[in-house]
Amino acid sequence: MNLRNTPTREFDYILLFSAVALTAYGALLIYSGSLTTYGSPSRAFSHPVSRQLIFAAAGLLAMVALSRLDYRLLGPASVALYVLSIAGLIFVLALGSSAYGSRRWIVLGGTQVQPSEIAKVCTTIMLAKFFSDNEERMKSVRVVATSLLIAAVPAALVLVEPDLGSAIVFAVIWLGVAVVAGVRPLHFAALAGCVAAVAPLVYRLGHDYQRARFESWLHPDRDPLGAGFNILQAEISIGSGGLLGKGFTHGTQTQLDYLRTQTTDYVFSVGAEELGFAGAMVLFALFVVLLFRCLRVANLADDAFGRLIAVGVVVFILFQVFVNIGVNIRLVPVTGVPLPLVSQGGSSLVTILGSLGLLQSILGHRRKRRRNS
Amino acid sequence: MGLLTTTRRRRWRSEQVEETDPRQQVSRRLWAMRIAILIAFAVLAGQLARLQLMRGSEFQQRAALNQLRIESVIPSRGLIYDRNGQPVVENVPGFAAAVVAADVPKDRTLEIADGVQRLLGVPPLETTLKIQQARASNDPFTPVILKEGLDQTAAFHLREALAALPGVQIVVEPVRRYVGGPELADVLGYTGRVDEDDYAALKDEGYLASDRIGKAGVEAAYETYLRGATGRKEIEKDASGREIRVLQQNAATPGNDLTLSIDLDLQRKTTQLVTDAAHGGQAAAIVMDVHTGEVLALVSLPLYDNNVLSGKIDEARLEQYLADPKKPLVNHALSEQYAPGSIFKQVTGAAALQEGVANPSTTIVSNGYINVPNENDPSIVYTFKDWRTLGALNFYGGVAMSSDVYFYYLSGGYHAYGQSFDGLGVDRLARYARAFGLGRPTGIDIAGEADGNIPDPAWKKKTFGDDWRLGDTYNMGIGQGFVAVTPIQMVRVTAAVANGGTLLTPRVVREVRDAQGHVIVPATPVIASQVPVSAANFAILRDAMTQAVSWGSANQGAVPGIRVAGKTGTAEFGPRFADGSYETHAWFSGFAPADDPQIAVTVFLERGVGAIDAAPLASKILDYYFHRPRPQAAAAAAPAGGAP
Repeated sequence: MNLRNTPTREFDYILLFSAVALTAYGALLIYSGSLTTYGSPSRAFSHPVSRQLIFAAAGLLAMVALSRLDYRLLGPASVALYVLSIAGLIFVLALGSSAYGSRRWIVLGGTQVQPSEIAKVCTTIMLAKFFSDNEERMKSVRVVATSLLIAAVPAALVLVEPDLGSAIVFAVIWLGVAVVAGVRPLHFAALAGCVAAVAPLVYRLGHDYQRARFESWLHPDRDPLGAGFNILQAEISIGSGGLLGKGFTHGTQTQLDYLRTQTTDYVFSVGAEELGFAGAMVLFALFVVLLFRCLRVANLADDAFGRLIAVGVVVFILFQVFVNIGVNIRLVPVTGVPLPLVSQGGSSLVTILGSLGLLQSILGHRRKRRRNS
Repeated sequence: MGLLTTTRRRRWRSEQVEETDPRQQVSRRLWAMRIAILIAFAVLAGQLARLQLMRGSEFQQRAALNQLRIESVIPSRGLIYDRNGQPVVENVPGFAAAVVAADVPKDRTLEIADGVQRLLGVPPLETTLKIQQARASNDPFTPVILKEGLDQTAAFHLREALAALPGVQIVVEPVRRYVGGPELADVLGYTGRVDEDDYAALKDEGYLASDRIGKAGVEAAYETYLRGATGRKEIEKDASGREIRVLQQNAATPGNDLTLSIDLDLQRKTTQLVTDAAHGGQAAAIVMDVHTGEVLALVSLPLYDNNVLSGKIDEARLEQYLADPKKPLVNHALSEQYAPGSIFKQVTGAAALQEGVANPSTTIVSNGYINVPNENDPSIVYTFKDWRTLGALNFYGGVAMSSDVYFYYLSGGYHAYGQSFDGLGVDRLARYARAFGLGRPTGIDIAGEADGNIPDPAWKKKTFGDDWRLGDTYNMGIGQGFVAVTPIQMVRVTAAVANGGTLLTPRVVREVRDAQGHVIVPATPVIASQVPVSAANFAILRDAMTQAVSWGSANQGAVPGIRVAGKTGTAEFGPRFADGSYETHAWFSGFAPADDPQIAVTVFLERGVGAIDAAPLASKILDYYFHRPRPQAAAAAAPAGGAP
């Protein structure tokens, strides 16, 4: 029996489980974090938890749907997707709604959509496609430069919003995919040199708010009630959680509103305060399982395209987890990056669950030729 | 492996240097990524362990401090009753909007200032300034008042609206209402916010910047009794400063209650009588118990409404008070000094009797004036007038008719034109005047007393650079010239005459009780000193003053059914008119009943004549005091806490 062209139809339930577990973990923290504003989840659909669960359901549907779709079909569509997502970014700059001083959202059918989240996946696909098409010419400077350009365009657009965090995500996606694709170390070194050279200039030209954030990260005590407030309060929340935490919904910092944006950027602090170091380790373990399962997909992928998509997804999840938690525990200057699957926010949740579906597709649409060989 | 082998072979052909299997290369890179993932989480876990495990207790303390706030609990201010137990003040809730700077997110200061303007009409600049000042101070947690005097319904509506402005809140604070009427304003004074300048000193005593303190009158003098002790409340607050629950509370100790010696009915009646007699001018009247020094009534005109100055100050009314040339905010009974005129003859008379300068039968003839030649140049002759030609007078007659000539003799003596009469002289007269408590505050329990003035040669030299002359002694002897007194000083002089020489410290507060009704400061007379004049001589003086009312110049002071003793005074002041006369103030100072004195009365009317204006007024006050429905009836009807 010739099985060469039969898909494996493999579906990674461990990957699914870890993603669902993280989403559920997030929903619990969002529940606790929104108790002061919303009380019990009575106002059913407007409640952040309900909304998050609806997005999770949509994301899981997207995951299942995409897992059934042969990811190879995305190859030819990659340019179109990429261009569309760039258009979305331009659109948000022109017409988007602003909050906290930057334009990041557009409102679609009553929901806020953050085009930068979608652009992250589309750029990953585009890079994967480009590198896989040019597998033989990885030593070419032109290939490397073009790939850089692919990542730089959306990065520049989100930087204008301004959203430095997302801009760095694009850079990191490029870096991760490029490493696995086999860009020469020499090119990386050259690039690193360039970045180091222009870094001081960028700092000087950067937005005032970004410099202020950097300053307040270094010295939050200088303005404990102003710019340093979130940084200090997050640190106090996390530190006071101790080993086992103060108990779910019993965090004083969370419940007395000392934490700000406690369902989005600072959702990790809620968990660390109420569930302690132990709870945070559970979260870490779930992320490690998730990321390892994603890397397993990269490892098993039939072709470079699939492999690089998987690597890109791993990189952007890992980077966002690291930066988000790093901000919470004062390891990294304040950067508005959500905690994947956990933070409140539909665009990020749907996008990540969807891209995990893409990985399931990569896993499930391998040709079973290895058995024959 | 087949496909990969071909790939490799192809590479081998194109690039000879490649030596590794790309599949393995990819696998190696993926392994590197796995390690990177583990390192990333290890770094996060390391920092997390540092915060949560190593510094956990430190942050637990900080979290606890975060929501814990210690607030002062303002004690309820002591209440004040009149001597018959009628309440004269009450504490009512006052609503004010305040801001706690620590609860205002710094980046929202302007937004909040705008909101405050929208809701309260306070200019944003004022709000931001207050917030910034409080932030810069070492106590950003104490509410700073933005707008006070809100009415209750407005306050409740605002409380809802202010929820959107973190840090801005409605505070309820007790405000004084003076229910005794403006008649008591000069006694009670008023409370007001602590001045910024005073706050530094008061802070250690538990006062808050937004606190209220007694500013005048009894409210100021008895501040320490009235205030009570500040309590402490540990409360849990959320980040926007809303109170979640009270963790611990040390209740405030309420202030002590005061019982005034003032008789509210008498005070009101006296005020009305003085108002009728004063014709819109300045005036003062005091009724004092001659045995205890308790002040039963103390009136100063014009009146002012102390409710205007307590709580939210009515700026327009305050402006009006300050601009009024009659100075309604000044207590004319004790803060303003005037020439006493003939009521000072009580002092001169007592001194002359005691020093043997005069006795009851000392007879002096008043031809309406005396002439005194200049010591160096006898061709220059000074004339000192009596108010009328009164003929031959003994001591009783001299006092009863208030002969100025009689008292020129007693004070300065007379050695001219063949006559030789030794007087007291300035030094002895001044000594007695001071022994009667003149020239210094009486120590009444209301702040702001004037000293008055008892002149002597050294004083004149110092003040005017001029020598003391006989004429100065003459003027002093009849309460003119450089002598200056306050009405409260004179009522004390009269009380001393009445009680046989005991100089009492006047009190407007009879008794202090704590909130449970225990007496803290009992109603005991405070004796300042004894006037060095014998009982017999005081009896002579009393007799003379009784005759002044029964047939003399003070006969308008008589009261049917009561024997009144008294002395009128018509004190000249201001510039001399063309006909040699002056403008005059009217005085009366006396006591009753003459043979068993109970109360002393001193009245002062700006612009008037003692016999015509002051004496009848005193008569009406005394008449009311002795002939009104007995105050015991009022005392019986009054609530507990009243005077026995």
